[in-house]
Amino acid sequence: MAKNAKKPASARKGSARRPAKSGNKRNNRSAGRRWFSWRFIAKVSVVLLVLAAAGLAYLDAYVRDRFDSHVWQLPARVYARPVELYPGRVLARNDMLKMLELMRYRRAGGAPTPGSYTTDGNTLVIHTRGFRDSDGGEPAQRIRVTLGGGQISALDSNDGDSLARLEPLQIGSIHPGHTEDRVFVPLDRVPPLLVQMLLATEDRDFYEHHGVSPRGLARAMVANVKAGGLVQGGSTLTQQLVKNFWLTQDRTLARKLVEMPMAVLLELHYSKEQILEAYLNEVYLGQDGKRAIHGMGLGAQFYFGRPLEELEPHQLATLVALLKGPSYYDPRRNPERSLARRNTVLKVALEEGALSDQEYRRFRERDLEVVPRGASPLYAFPAFIDLVRRQLARDYPADVLGEEGLRIHSTLDVLAQLASEKALSEHLNSLDASGDALNGAVVVVAPAQGDVLALVGSRESRAQGFNRALDATRPMGSLVKPVVMLTALQRPKRYSLATPVADEPITVPLTTGKKWTPQNFDGESKGPIPLVDALAYSRNQATVRLGMDVGPDAVVRTLSQLGVKKTVPAYPSILLGSIGMTPFEVAMLYQPLATGGFATPLRSITDVLDKDGEPLARYPVDTEEVIDSGPAYLIQWGMQQVVEKGTARSARSVLPADLKVAGKTGTSDEYRDAWFAGFSGNHLSVVWVGRDNNENARVTGSSGALPVWSRLMAGLPQTSLSQVPPPGVEEVWMDPSGEKTSGKGCSGAREYPMLEASIPEQSDGCGSATQVKEGVVEWFKGWFD
Amino acid sequence: MVQGLVRLTLLAVLLLSGCAVTPPAEKAEPVTADTELQGSPAMALLSRAEQARAQGETGAASRYLERALTMAPNSSWLYRELALLRLEEGDGHAAEGFAQRALRLAPDNDDYRAELWELVAAARAEQGDRSGADEARARAQALRQPDRA
Repeated sequence: MAKNAKKPASARKGSARRPAKSGNKRNNRSAGRRWFSWRFIAKVSVVLLVLAAAGLAYLDAYVRDRFDSHVWQLPARVYARPVELYPGRVLARNDMLKMLELMRYRRAGGAPTPGSYTTDGNTLVIHTRGFRDSDGGEPAQRIRVTLGGGQISALDSNDGDSLARLEPLQIGSIHPGHTEDRVFVPLDRVPPLLVQMLLATEDRDFYEHHGVSPRGLARAMVANVKAGGLVQGGSTLTQQLVKNFWLTQDRTLARKLVEMPMAVLLELHYSKEQILEAYLNEVYLGQDGKRAIHGMGLGAQFYFGRPLEELEPHQLATLVALLKGPSYYDPRRNPERSLARRNTVLKVALEEGALSDQEYRRFRERDLEVVPRGASPLYAFPAFIDLVRRQLARDYPADVLGEEGLRIHSTLDVLAQLASEKALSEHLNSLDASGDALNGAVVVVAPAQGDVLALVGSRESRAQGFNRALDATRPMGSLVKPVVMLTALQRPKRYSLATPVADEPITVPLTTGKKWTPQNFDGESKGPIPLVDALAYSRNQATVRLGMDVGPDAVVRTLSQLGVKKTVPAYPSILLGSIGMTPFEVAMLYQPLATGGFATPLRSITDVLDKDGEPLARYPVDTEEVIDSGPAYLIQWGMQQVVEKGTARSARSVLPADLKVAGKTGTSDEYRDAWFAGFSGNHLSVVWVGRDNNENARVTGSSGALPVWSRLMAGLPQTSLSQVPPPGVEEVWMDPSGEKTSGKGCSGAREYPMLEASIPEQSDGCGSATQVKEGVVEWFKGWFD
Repeated sequence: MVQGLVRLTLLAVLLLSGCAVTPPAEKAEPVTADTELQGSPAMALLSRAEQARAQGETGAASRYLERALTMAPNSSWLYRELALLRLEEGDGHAAEGFAQRALRLAPDNDDYRAELWELVAAARAEQGDRSGADEARARAQALRQPDRA
């Protein structure tokens, strides 16, 4: 509106000058014939003035155009999932405190302001910060959380629902096209003290001048003469803004020439508040590698790890101190200079009446209190941010991500991530202390929703670079065995978990004319064993026999049923896992196994909101039944045996005794790759360990990957796998041959869950009543439950 | 099959002995949010989800339910609610998946299971799968009238 009203005004100004000059022309007509005749000078003046007017008009349009249409370059910000607090949630006190520290909550008696907390034994009072989300978000409020027995035992919040969330932690920003970063803070949320300090030190006449301040200039000159050097610049905030906003940083004369008129023009069109707000959000405050830190909002985060609104006077003063020279007064690199300048700012604030004498003395004594640079969670999870970036790139063009301040709510669970990093690095350090041979990757997923909770792409989890979780394609080895077994179990008339499979030497003729003679890991052959044991003990020969029986092409079909998109050739070698997969792809493959047959696409993003917190896009959970309930239950049961008694039984000593989990070890040829993929009721984790150069890593799935998996799983709040068989599955005692039913207590009899179609008619004649008795017990339980 | 035979025999025994136990053919207690989630903090999120849905804010409702799932991952009722919501949003594919997941976790209650099969039928119909919808409806029928099935 002001835009249209003012345009003609400036145009008038320009044209008003011309008649005055043409008047001069006439008066000077008689004035001599010298080469520098008045007439000549007048002509030149006219030309210059016209040029100046045109230039001014151009500058005017330029200034307004840029100011009005200026898109604050706000990179997309990525947030972790908010920490959800509710009674019964498994949460150790240490983890809770770790979270608060990471989120820069400050310890303060009574938790007076958002972003503070206080502890009293096992009770924490937390003043949350509040945030917006697609479900409305959460208000800032004071909550009382009581911890006991490793979980939250009670929670009191304002709404009485016993539910609260901490705001999502920012874990990254995405700015593909440029390297400016900022957190926009509207003027009404800027602490007034910051504005007072800013004006007192940088531009006392801000509210009086019209863009340039002769008084300020004079004052600066006096100060400079007194000091015998350049101590004050005399530029107004408006001029500084012009410099920051429109002009390059180099000090050319041309730039100096346009700076003043631009400042005046800016003042002509915009209110002091608009200019101040722009200044506060634009000003350059430092450098973080390639990232330029702009604006007070980001400055507060970069130097203090907190929102601007939460800073205390001495911290605000440190930010103001930076304006004189962000690198010279860098509180991290030059703390003494920074402290001295900060105290000068505090002094000025005292003189201006912005601080009381008491406050001044108190805050003067405080340390700088900047957070260490490496500690920022913004750089802590590069592998996960990489995944978010890839998923975002499919839906958003680069400029939108770089400029519009999108808020990306991700699925990262900070505690699961930290537990994964720790488990991987500790185990690798114990195997390979020199630290240069082995590396690894971890993927943790909540199988029900497909949420990627953690992603570790390297032993050095903060290292940028090769993201093994997403990009290391390695032979999956025995991780494929559950797929081979599932293929068989989907044919219940022929196969059950009890079906005998010959673990005996086998030679498979290949289409190339060669022959393939797979060996077992221990070099032995066990003879006929139940199908489930071939899985539990990872028998190669038995698996290849079974696989050749059902056909490699059928196994390929099961892979695609489970969601594998890439083309897998139906070679016999796939039966022992010659298929290359990344840890992330393995997590996708195992996800339906973990949920009893439901495929859910893995997601790293739940919502995208605009910069004001309005929902823009949602990535809802999708799900599809891909494996029938019966075979899905059987394979899960089989994979539980791997942990109960098979190749992964060492995990039992690390995990809680009553926790039901399932999984599979994997080792590729010549010990190049060690894998473990396994799940509980609420976490699916995949671990890969190997060498980047693909050499012998001298580790097996059991020794290299499983310990990482068990330690990581032991550190997460777990629920057991359901032990309730679906309709159509019965518990049946089978004789040792696996071909006749038997009974409990009969010689060599074992109990298996079986599909009705698999139960043989023939009995070995021993104790068949046992099965009936079990049924009765179940039936009675059904009545009384 | 075997189980059915056993049940029948035992029922006969019980009836003969005059034992006053409710026969299993009688209907189980109805399944509700309360029977599934009582005492769980997910209950509060479920009621917020219901409110949001009533106000047409399906996005927010969905988010509440997804959060509730992390607290009660084995609740059939939550999957049922998600299925209803996705159906309302016109996403038949996800609705069918969630309804089937609800079935997988469903307590042993024929009426409730029948209702879930109806939901599967509706979700299939939404995707244009007529024969699949008919099949699901038949399963619902069979559960409602076990004698005639």
